[in-house]
Amino acid sequence: MPLLELSNVSKAYAGTPALRQVDLKIEAGEVHALMGENGAGKSTLIKILAGVVAPDSATIRMDDRLVSIDDAAKAHRLGFRFIHQELNVVPSLSVAENIVMGQRYPRRAGIFVDWKKLNSVAADALRRLGVTHIDPRVKMASLSTGDRMLAKISAALLSADGAPARLYVMDEPTAALTREESEQLFRVLNEIRAAGNSVLYVSHRIDEVMALCDRATVLRDGQSIDSGMLSEITHDDLVAMMTGRKVTETYPAQVAPPSDETAYEGHGLSVRKGEILGLAGLSGSGQTELLRRIFGRPASAWRRGIAYVPKERRSEGLVLTRPIFENITLPHLKTHSLGGAFLAPGRERGFATSMGDDVKLRATSTRQLVQQLSGGNQQKVVFAKALSGEPDLLLLDEPTRGVDVGAKYDIYSVIREMTAKGMAVILASSDLPELLGLCDRIAVMRNGSISIIVEAGLSEDALLNLCYGRATHSEAA
Amino acid sequence: MTILTLLRRFGTLIGFVVIVCYFWAQLPDTFMTARNWLNITQQLSMLIVVAAGMTIVMVMNDFDLSVGSMASLSGIVAAMLFSFGYPIWLAVGIALLVGLLGGLFNGVLVGLIGILPFVATLATLTMFSGAAFVVSGGKTISGRVIPEAFGNFARQGIEIGPLTVPNLTIVALAVVALVWVLLEQTTFGRRLYAIGGNLEAAHLSGVPVRRFKLIAFSLTGLSAALAGLLYASRVASANPTQGSGLMLNAIAAVFLGMTMSGQGEPRVLATVLGVLILGVLDNGLTQMAVDSYVRQILVGAIILIAVSFSSISKAKRS
Repeated sequence: MPLLELSNVSKAYAGTPALRQVDLKIEAGEVHALMGENGAGKSTLIKILAGVVAPDSATIRMDDRLVSIDDAAKAHRLGFRFIHQELNVVPSLSVAENIVMGQRYPRRAGIFVDWKKLNSVAADALRRLGVTHIDPRVKMASLSTGDRMLAKISAALLSADGAPARLYVMDEPTAALTREESEQLFRVLNEIRAAGNSVLYVSHRIDEVMALCDRATVLRDGQSIDSGMLSEITHDDLVAMMTGRKVTETYPAQVAPPSDETAYEGHGLSVRKGEILGLAGLSGSGQTELLRRIFGRPASAWRRGIAYVPKERRSEGLVLTRPIFENITLPHLKTHSLGGAFLAPGRERGFATSMGDDVKLRATSTRQLVQQLSGGNQQKVVFAKALSGEPDLLLLDEPTRGVDVGAKYDIYSVIREMTAKGMAVILASSDLPELLGLCDRIAVMRNGSISIIVEAGLSEDALLNLCYGRATHSEAA
Repeated sequence: MTILTLLRRFGTLIGFVVIVCYFWAQLPDTFMTARNWLNITQQLSMLIVVAAGMTIVMVMNDFDLSVGSMASLSGIVAAMLFSFGYPIWLAVGIALLVGLLGGLFNGVLVGLIGILPFVATLATLTMFSGAAFVVSGGKTISGRVIPEAFGNFARQGIEIGPLTVPNLTIVALAVVALVWVLLEQTTFGRRLYAIGGNLEAAHLSGVPVRRFKLIAFSLTGLSAALAGLLYASRVASANPTQGSGLMLNAIAAVFLGMTMSGQGEPRVLATVLGVLILGVLDNGLTQMAVDSYVRQILVGAIILIAVSFSSISKAKRS
C-alpha cells in the first residue's frame, strides 16, 4: 500500500501552469527520488506537500485515506518532515537547542530549562540516526555542514506533538556534503527505510539517485513521468526522462590542448593558458581559501584579469534584487559607462544580452530580476559576469552546485570555449567526475595546502584515495 | 492578487492623493493655492535636503541618526563665525566642511571600524549635539551678529510671473536633482544600490565598499549641514537644538518612499514624496486647527499604515 499518493495535482501561477496533472506515488519504506531540471515544478510540488502552496486541484491519499494539506501545521501532523537545501539553523545556539527547537523544552519546576534533560533528548535523537560523534552541547556554528544536516534530520525525527514522522522530504541534501558526510546520510536513509518510513529525495545527482533510491518521479515542464524501478533502467534513460532528449556526453570534449605559456603562477601552483586545473579534496581542505588568496583584493583582481565565481551564488555571487544586466556589468561597470561616471543603460543591456547569449542564459529580458530566475540560470548570470571582462584567469568554486543537467552542460561548454581562446581556469569541485571530466591536471588539497598535483586520467577511486591521503601513486611531499 | 500588487506599489501614492483631496474639500479657499504650496515647499526645504542625504546612506542599508544634531551644529558654527566677523561665504563654507567631516567620521566608524550604524551615529548624534552647545555656550545666536544678507536669502526668491519661488525651495530642488543624478545616473549610485542589495556580492565584484561608505556618509553629513544653514537663514539665528526634529522625519520620509518603489529600495524622488506627505499633513491639519499633539499621533499612524500595508502584501507574496 502506498504511504502517500498524489494524483492530478495542478497548479498555475498567474495563468502560467507550474504543474499539470502531476502524479506522485510513494510506497512505505521507500526512498523515492524527485527529479527534474530547474523550473520543472519540483519546488512547487514540495511546497504543496508542505502546505505552503494550495494546489488548484489535487487528490491526496495517505494510507489510502483522502486527506488535505491545508497548512504547514497539517503537513506536520500528517508526519511530513522537510529538510531544506539551505539549512535553517541557529548557529549561536547549541546543537541540542537546535534539535529541540520548536518544541517545549524540558523543564524543572515548570519554569527553568532542564539542560541535562534537553541534552539527553537531543543525544537520543542523534543516536537514533546512528550518530554518536556530535556533542549536543556544542554550538551549532562549530559543526560542519554535514553534521548540521544530521542534526537537522534528527530534529525532524523528534515528534513533539505525538505526530510521528512518516515522510522525510530532503531537498538536495548532499549538495553541500563531503563524501564521508553523504555516506553517513545514506546510512540514515537506510535506517528510515528499515523503519517503514519513506523519503522523498530531491537531487540533481543522477549517480547518487541511481545508487540510493528505489524509484523516481521525474518532472518535466510541469508534467510527471514515473521512472519505474530504478534498478531496471540506466543512467542515460533517467537523463533522457529529465531533459526530453538523449544526452550522450556529460562533458564536452576539449577543443584544443593547453598552450605552454604560463598564465598564472603563485600560491604553490601554476596554470597554463588554456588549461583547466582542478582543485580536489575533502570539503574544508582549503580550496575556497586558496581561491580567495589567488583572487586577492577583488577590485584589483578584476582589473588584472582575474575573475571569480564564488561558492555561494545567492549570498556571494549575485545581487538578487537587481536586474540581470546590472549584475553582469557590475565588475567592469566603468567600461560600460559614459566617461566612467555616467550610466549608459542601453549600452549595458546590449552588452549583457550578448554575454547572456554566450552562456545560453534563458531569460525574458536582461531587465528581469535575478531572483526570478531558476538556479541554473542564476549561475549562468554569475558566469556571464565573470566572463564580462574577458579574464585571463577564471577561478571557479563549485560552479555547478545545485544546477540541473542541461544547464551544467551549457556551463561546461562555456568553460571549454573560453579555454580554447586561451583563458586559464582553476576549478574547485567536490564532484569528482566533474573534475575528471574537465581538468587537465588536478591539485589535491589536504589540511589547507596542496598535497599533490596529478595529471588527469586517473580513476575516480584513485582520486578519492588521494583526497583521503591514501596515496596510490608515489606521493609528493 | 494583482489588485494587492497594485495597492502595494501605489497605495502610498493613492493615500497621498486622497489626503490632498480631503484637505482641498475641507479648505477650499486656502489649501489648493499656489501660495500655500510654495509655502509648504519652503517649510519643507530643510527636511527635503536632509531626507535626500539620508536616502544616500539608506540605499546601502545604513542610516544616520546624527543628521539632526549636525544641522544644529552647522548653524551654530556659521553663526559663531559671523559673530567673529567672518564673511558669509567663508562661514558657510566652513560650516559645510564641518558637516562633510562629521559625516566622514560616521563613515570611518561604520565603514572602516565596522560599528553598527545605529550605535555609531547614536554616539555621534550626542557628540555633535554636545559640540553645538559647547561652541554656542548653550545660547541662541541671533540679532545683529547675523549678517542681513544671510537672513534675507531665505526671505527672497525668484519671481516667476505673479509668484515668488522661495530660494529655499530652489536649493531643496537643486539638492534633490543632484542626489537623483548621483543615485540614478552614475556608476557610483549603481554600485551603491549593489551594496544595499548584497554587500558581499558587491565586494567580490570589485566594488570598493569601504570607500563608498566613507563617501556616502560624508554626503549625508554635508546635506545635514546645508539643511542647518537653510534653517539658520530662515530664522536669522542659530540655536543648538534647531535641527532636533529633522532626523526622525527624514527617516520616516525615506521609509514612506520605500513603500512606493518596486523592490522596496530607497529612491530619492520617492523620498521627496514621503516628505511631501508629512508636510501636507502638517500643513492641512494646522489649517484645520487640529491640536499639534493630535497631529503627531495622526502622522505616526499614517506612517504605520503605509509601511504595514507594504509589509503585509509583501509577506503574502512570498
